[in-house]
Amino acid sequence: MSTIFTVFRKELLDTWRDRRTIVFMVIIPLLLFPVLFKIMFTVQESQADKERAKTLRVACLAPEGTAQRLVEMLRGGEGIEVVADVPRDSIMAFTRDGRLDGAFVVADDFDATLSELGPGRIDFYYKSTDDQGIARARLRKIADAFEEALLVERFEGLGWKRNIVEGVDLRTHNLASTQEQIGKQVGGFLPYIFVIFCFMGSMYPAIDLGAGEKERGTLETLLTAPVNRFHILLGKFGVIVLSGLVSAVVSIGGLYIGVRQSREIPDEFFAMVTRILGVDTILIVLSLLLPLTVFFAGVLLSISLTARGFKEAQSMISPLNIAVIIPAILGMLPGIELNAVTALVPVLNVSLATKEIIAGTIRAPDLALVYASLVVFAVLGLWGATLWFRRESTIFRS
Amino acid sequence: MVLPVIAVENIRKTFRLSREQRRERGGVARGATVDAVAGVSFTCQPGRIFSLLGPNGAGKTTTLRLIATMLRPTAGSIRVGGHDALAHPERVRRVLGFLTGSTRLYDRLSPDELVRYHADLHGVPRAQYQQRRDEIFARLGMEGFARQRIGKLSTGMKQKVSIARTLIHDPEVLVLDEATAGLDVVASRGIVELIRGAKERGKTVLFSTHRMGEASQLSDDLAIIHEGRLLFSGAYADFTRDMRTASLEDEFIRIVEEARA
Repeated sequence: MSTIFTVFRKELLDTWRDRRTIVFMVIIPLLLFPVLFKIMFTVQESQADKERAKTLRVACLAPEGTAQRLVEMLRGGEGIEVVADVPRDSIMAFTRDGRLDGAFVVADDFDATLSELGPGRIDFYYKSTDDQGIARARLRKIADAFEEALLVERFEGLGWKRNIVEGVDLRTHNLASTQEQIGKQVGGFLPYIFVIFCFMGSMYPAIDLGAGEKERGTLETLLTAPVNRFHILLGKFGVIVLSGLVSAVVSIGGLYIGVRQSREIPDEFFAMVTRILGVDTILIVLSLLLPLTVFFAGVLLSISLTARGFKEAQSMISPLNIAVIIPAILGMLPGIELNAVTALVPVLNVSLATKEIIAGTIRAPDLALVYASLVVFAVLGLWGATLWFRRESTIFRS
Repeated sequence: MVLPVIAVENIRKTFRLSREQRRERGGVARGATVDAVAGVSFTCQPGRIFSLLGPNGAGKTTTLRLIATMLRPTAGSIRVGGHDALAHPERVRRVLGFLTGSTRLYDRLSPDELVRYHADLHGVPRAQYQQRRDEIFARLGMEGFARQRIGKLSTGMKQKVSIARTLIHDPEVLVLDEATAGLDVVASRGIVELIRGAKERGKTVLFSTHRMGEASQLSDDLAIIHEGRLLFSGAYADFTRDMRTASLEDEFIRIVEEARA
């Protein structure tokens, strides 16, 4: 036991002093979300502000009669400039090349159609790509107000109430608790973060403590010490697992900071999420991550030990990111539920179980199955790494 | 009769050729093997220096790794300090200090931390550790850089750290695998002094080298290995008495070339 601790303590010290590991284990998980959210919201907000403040240039080709009221409404709209004398055949080209932000073309038979109680045709041209549809929404609002005014007049003329066209007064009541609703939404995203960072945090220590040590030639010296090889392996394992867990926890801290500093997320929603994500929930999720990280550590260390050096291990391990991301993403998709089959698939089972735990809808047999599956995979990972560590051809491959 | 500290008897080590090695050898069939060591026997007597000479790929490193229990022999037996290397590898490693020329150190640790780590791995009690550490660091002049990161030290300083690491558990047997390879004259002198000092303290030393000067200066006993087989094993005095050429180097080359022919 003391040997395992001796190796663990030394590897931890060595890992802690490795800048690459610290970058992947602490810096990236901690800063990713605050920086990402900051950039995302700042860009989004400034773009939205720009669109909102922008004076929209609009053309409205309308025949004499009722349609002229639309032109008047547009003229009266805030931040809207109605451009006159745009040739009809240039409307689309001008809108496409940005000379116009939008254009309405009212059919010549508009009034005639209205008088027959039909829908008068108006073509609305706009170009919406990355402005979040703000310009379109502003113009559409005026067109909708115009339509509503026409309808009110029409119904009054017929002596009808405005709501005569509404056949059903449908009132929806979602009986899912707030925790369930948030759990299924936020809960789909959180395990993804946990799993990805757990894997990323384990990756560099695994490469350094396996292939790195082989490349440096220090492993040979270590093997001349009068200690059981399995104990050496366990000491290394401990550091890899701890790094993965630290990385996952730090990433959640980063996410917390990112969300907290974001003005886009209402305080009430944030308070609700923090209430749901209590210490007990976090501890259960970490207890799921522990065996998963042991499994990751086993796979990563096995690959790392077979590599000749740091770079070879890196290129061998990088594709594994995909193998982790795919089941983690699957767990985020709606319709994929935790059941007897999905509970057995590593990564996917943690993803789905976390979702259920946060929503408060986890069933004990499913959770037990997830734990059992994870423990089996953790043992397999450790066993695999032990086999590789005992193989002379692996250890002395150069 | 004095029992040998190291007794190697008819050891063989067979490796399966990797795909790369098979390709290099002109498409040898899958599963093909090579004997890196083929029936080697020798003994090292207590308090004496035994040098193992051989060209590149002769089987020196494999032989020393087998003795240090890093590798398990395919056949044969090895005893070190009275312990069976196959049955009790950990007991063998307890009495053995191993140093190779290719070994590097943990750059992110300090000499103090590294030496302490190896002392802990060898189970050196805390009180003994401090005494040995102070003695070795003083002898090698290491106090001035004991707390600096190893990555920032010069080659000579690193060599001293390696030596300190090898000696911290006061091993009965020193096994040095081309420990002077790649070192300059000054740093090599450190290794030579290590070997001499160990002998003075009654330790047994087994070392492999390419440098005939070192072998002639230090050897009490000597063996020449080529293609996994011993071409000579005996006392250095006997070897020099029967030499057919003027120097150890010439004689070594003559013996190896004769074996090749």
